[in-house]
Amino acid sequence: MPPAMLCTGTPRDGKSDGSHWLAIGAVTLHPGIAVRPGKKRRGGIMKVLDHLEEWLIAFLMGAATLLIFVAVVHRYAAGLPIPVVQDALLRIDLTWAQELCIYMFVWMAKFGAAYGVRTGIHVGIDVMINRLPADTRKLYVLFGLAAGAAFTGIVGTLGATFVWDIAHTDSVSPDLELPKWLVYLCIPAGSYLMCFRFLQVAWAFARTGELPHHDVARVEGIEDVNVYGMDDNLDPAAVKGGRA
Amino acid sequence: MSAAISIPVAGSRWPALIPPLLIAFPIGLKLAGVPIANPWIIFALLFGLMLTGMPISISLGLTVLTYLFTMTTVPIESVALKLFTGIEKFEIMAIPFFILAGNFLTHGGVARRMINFASSLVGHWAGGLGLAGVMACALFAAVSGSSPATVVAIGSIILPAMVKQGFPPRFGAGVITTSGALGILIPPSIVMVMYAVATSTSVGALFIAGIIPGLVLAMFLGCTTWWLARKNNYPRQPKATWLERWRTFRESIWGLALVIVVIGGIYTGIFTPTEAAAMSAVYAFLVAVFVYKDMSIKKVPKVLLDSANMSAMLLYIITNAVMFSYLMTSEQIPQELAAWMLDKGLGVVAFLLFVNIVLLLAGNVMEPSSIVLIMAPILFPVAMKLGIDPVHFGIMMVVNMEVGMCHPPVGLNLYVASGITKMGITELTIAVWPWLLTMLVFLVVVTYWPALSIWLPQTLGMMR
Repeated sequence: MPPAMLCTGTPRDGKSDGSHWLAIGAVTLHPGIAVRPGKKRRGGIMKVLDHLEEWLIAFLMGAATLLIFVAVVHRYAAGLPIPVVQDALLRIDLTWAQELCIYMFVWMAKFGAAYGVRTGIHVGIDVMINRLPADTRKLYVLFGLAAGAAFTGIVGTLGATFVWDIAHTDSVSPDLELPKWLVYLCIPAGSYLMCFRFLQVAWAFARTGELPHHDVARVEGIEDVNVYGMDDNLDPAAVKGGRA
Repeated sequence: MSAAISIPVAGSRWPALIPPLLIAFPIGLKLAGVPIANPWIIFALLFGLMLTGMPISISLGLTVLTYLFTMTTVPIESVALKLFTGIEKFEIMAIPFFILAGNFLTHGGVARRMINFASSLVGHWAGGLGLAGVMACALFAAVSGSSPATVVAIGSIILPAMVKQGFPPRFGAGVITTSGALGILIPPSIVMVMYAVATSTSVGALFIAGIIPGLVLAMFLGCTTWWLARKNNYPRQPKATWLERWRTFRESIWGLALVIVVIGGIYTGIFTPTEAAAMSAVYAFLVAVFVYKDMSIKKVPKVLLDSANMSAMLLYIITNAVMFSYLMTSEQIPQELAAWMLDKGLGVVAFLLFVNIVLLLAGNVMEPSSIVLIMAPILFPVAMKLGIDPVHFGIMMVVNMEVGMCHPPVGLNLYVASGITKMGITELTIAVWPWLLTMLVFLVVVTYWPALSIWLPQTLGMMR
């Protein structure tokens, strides 16, 4: 059950559905938004935003990995004394890779945090509130979401002021020489998006009482392992025979 | 699953008053002119906000903002700058890479290969599959960074097999719940990277320092399993032939080589820790898609997205924790704590005992990364003043986090295990106690015997 698909209304598997997030006790996962089955699908522009967010962070993750991989391979390959290749490799300068990787991950972190609100991955301590009567608990959950929105809203505004200020200077990053305001644009953009996501979750929770839940221990390939297909001594048939 | 949990969902209403009191009372008193020390206000605020169930990252950030706004005249902008620059360090970027590498290999097929290899090696001894479970957890922990995922991956495969062989369900549940926690001690470990980031300790030294304690803890847990199984005469596996051992080894070596890439790369200086993490992610991708073929290439975007989701959450906590630790430093809280401890004549022994108790308590309600990020900046300066080795202190914290994940009332591994075993938390608590006790003994050993942790990195010249 891919959590990535929550937003498009894919039915969740029965096992981890429902009150699970309540049950986990200490470390449950905080709210994010998920359109549950049976609910009205969200409109076109929301879907575009959702997908844009998902593709952006998945792309940044993959691209940064490849970038560092290529930079490391390049560093060692350029040291090999192969006549023409070495000259060609030495001409390529990849010293900016580290800086770009940092910026990619900072962007991924800001937008990923917003996505995380929607998937319910942000962890909170809910030991106390889960023992409260339902109506009081609801108040606290809404308070938590509102606090999230307030905090991200404040940070977004501080970030916007900050970006506005440095946009009027000509400061650039050391290696890539990107304008600094462009690098830091992710702070207001990501924080405001996160603020929006908190409000979305709060709205959905107020109406339906449902919170998105992130399954900490989901492992692929558990159900679909063909126990008889592997010639180990663990398949139930052999075990039942009591070969021990 | 929820039915199995003994926590009452609806209770009395009065605890609802705790957070507002904690948040408003100290600030109100201070503003009214009552002298209260600043640390108390900060911690009351933090606990108050955390208890409302909001994400830990948000409560850290809000604590800092509220404190600065109400108690000081420091312009918020100057501190908010920390929010922007807090994670701009290449060392921190090892976290997303390690998460990605782990996600590629956290797969039922990989778990099964580890179980096969482990049971071919130790399955014929007393303890049989139980012993194999401990070893498989240790092996799987080396490729997957997550403790709960280890419990699920190994547990869902090995527990049904154990029950079918005639082990009592409690025995299997106890073994897997506790052994699953090995993940954060055996490198690569994300919690160690967090500690390294929070205290500017060398990631490489920490990873290498984790090897021996990791193996020793696995052995401790194995011994408990072996002893209990021998006493109760639990079934064993037939002895595997060397050919079979070689075959299962060959199957699992592709996954295990990940550790070699990371540790070998860092130790020989081929890679920096972050580069090693990136290389291990690429390696894990190649193994999962082309060697093991557990994952089709179509699944890769989803793995990327899941990893990005998890990393962004951790990076967001780091960002806010950096701001919080900045507040701690500017309010001189660690220094005051250190001065107080030295003043009271509390030495290393008492301090470490105090740290362990505090961390075990925190382990009840928070997950390891948050605890390390919040507590390390406070405790680390004190530890340095007392002359405790930074690497040893880190390993001790990590072992403590492990215990915290398994002990009642609210260890994360317990809840995950309760999900797969369909046992209640109370029953699981009874099930885990022999292993939990073993872990506590091990915690004492690690705490008061620094050489166990720092001998290997020192011998290899990774630290002074």
